[in-house]
Amino acid sequence: MLFPQAPSHRAFRVWVRHLVYYRSFYLAEWAGNLGEHILWLVAFGYGLGRLVPNLDGISYAQFIGPGLMVSVAMWNATYESTYGAYSRMRIQNIYDSMLMAPLTVGDIVLGDLLWCASRALIGSSLMLVILSLFGLVGSLWAIAILPILFIEAVMFAALGLIATSLAHSFSFFNFYFSAIVMPMFFFAGTLFPIKGLPLWVERLSEALPLTHAVRISRGLFIYGYVENFIWHFSLLLGFTFLFLIVACVLVSRRMVE
Amino acid sequence: MYGLVIDAQGIKKSFGTLKAVDGVSLQVKPGECFGILGPNGAGKTTTIKMLHGAVEPDAGTLRVLSRDVATQSRLIREQMGIVPQEDTLDRDLTVYENLWVYAGFFGIAKKASLSRIEHLLDFMQLREKWDSQIKTLSGGMKRRLHIARALIHEPKFLILDEPTTGLDPQARHLVWQRLRELKAQGLTILLTTHYMEEAAQMCDRIGIMDGGRFLLEGEPQTLVQEKVGDEVYELKGGASAELLDSFQGLSVTTEVVADILYLYSHNGMGVMEHLISCGRKDFLRRPATLEDLFLRLTGRELRD
Repeated sequence: MLFPQAPSHRAFRVWVRHLVYYRSFYLAEWAGNLGEHILWLVAFGYGLGRLVPNLDGISYAQFIGPGLMVSVAMWNATYESTYGAYSRMRIQNIYDSMLMAPLTVGDIVLGDLLWCASRALIGSSLMLVILSLFGLVGSLWAIAILPILFIEAVMFAALGLIATSLAHSFSFFNFYFSAIVMPMFFFAGTLFPIKGLPLWVERLSEALPLTHAVRISRGLFIYGYVENFIWHFSLLLGFTFLFLIVACVLVSRRMVE
Repeated sequence: MYGLVIDAQGIKKSFGTLKAVDGVSLQVKPGECFGILGPNGAGKTTTIKMLHGAVEPDAGTLRVLSRDVATQSRLIREQMGIVPQEDTLDRDLTVYENLWVYAGFFGIAKKASLSRIEHLLDFMQLREKWDSQIKTLSGGMKRRLHIARALIHEPKFLILDEPTTGLDPQARHLVWQRLRELKAQGLTILLTTHYMEEAAQMCDRIGIMDGGRFLLEGEPQTLVQEKVGDEVYELKGGASAELLDSFQGLSVTTEVVADILYLYSHNGMGVMEHLISCGRKDFLRRPATLEDLFLRLTGRELRD
């Protein structure tokens, strides 16, 4: 076998393990998610939004709606793949026990990524429900955002696993969050438009993986149409595969001495 | 039928400058129970981790269940159960969930695993704990659950790294009892332990390891008899030079440790008669054990 740690269908069993754990606390998480989502929407969309003029004929609350969906997916996937995965890998030895069964590092990584993305999808879906209750959804195509967010969450989970495989303690994640995740969150056009900012900021924003998820989502959410869809979607997929492969290699290095 | 369960030739592993395993060769046949004994840091756990692919050897060839570990580790693990030294139970799940979720890793559907799980919970005396959280289990229960988990897929080969370390005597006896039953059912077993007497009773062959290699390997009783003797006499309060000299020609090996003189005898009653004729009656006479052999081979100084 050329890649002894390659993933297989057994990744699904890893996903099942996470689901079994999730069953014990999901109601509390959903309640927390709902509260937090409403708070964000009200505080930013309507609180801050009062000071913001309409953007291309769109209210600020409607502008940030898809941005919030994208960022919920990002944060969910990021927490689960950093704090959650680090605990499974380094504290609870759950990865070790999986590697004593006939699972490979690839199975574990893929199972974890799919799980992170599943959780992220639940969070974003709740956000979509709230946004529609507030009457902010402009097009039925908004539903099509969910598969895009699933891919986005896999990408962030893979990036989170890369950080996890490099971390030697939980405090490493402070660095990861403030140096990578937070800047990405702000400069991907989630809360304010990037167009019109200094040129270098626009260029930087274009290079951020999150930006492309935001563009697709905003297009679908408000107009049901995405400009340069193929371009944004290819970049999103490209980043996802790249991070996935790097995550597999780095986690292998961490797990097999 | 298959060939050797373990066929290791000259396997080596270094971590930085530390040679953890330094040329180990080992053959284990189907149905055999092999025990690895050795002080802490001897390379036992590294050897075991190489068998299931968690550590990659730097050199040598390693085949388990007639397959190459480097390329076919997944297939090997399908037929192998592993009880590691450290706690790897899933603390987020209950006892029952731990077992059926783990069965899933072997491709066994939840429904198909139920009767096996019931049997294993009974076998390891955990039935009334089936719905408990892992953190509520005692150390002995956790170890038994580890063993149950390692047997979930009816493996051909079971590896246990110090299965009874840290357990109270009751739990320890239960574990050894169950391992003997598994062995009687024909399971091939490889284990490491610090409990010499249990190892001597349970294992067909043992290997004494130190400094990353086997110092000695063979049947426990034969090894003890050949390398130590039949009986050991312990004399407290030390021994004079004359007394030590007087054992010459009696086929006795002497060893002085602090204030105790050890006499390792091949001589049956001869030594006892000699001691009594010297006016020493304050001795302890006992059969030679694997522990005598172990200490003589690996020395008496502390390892950690």
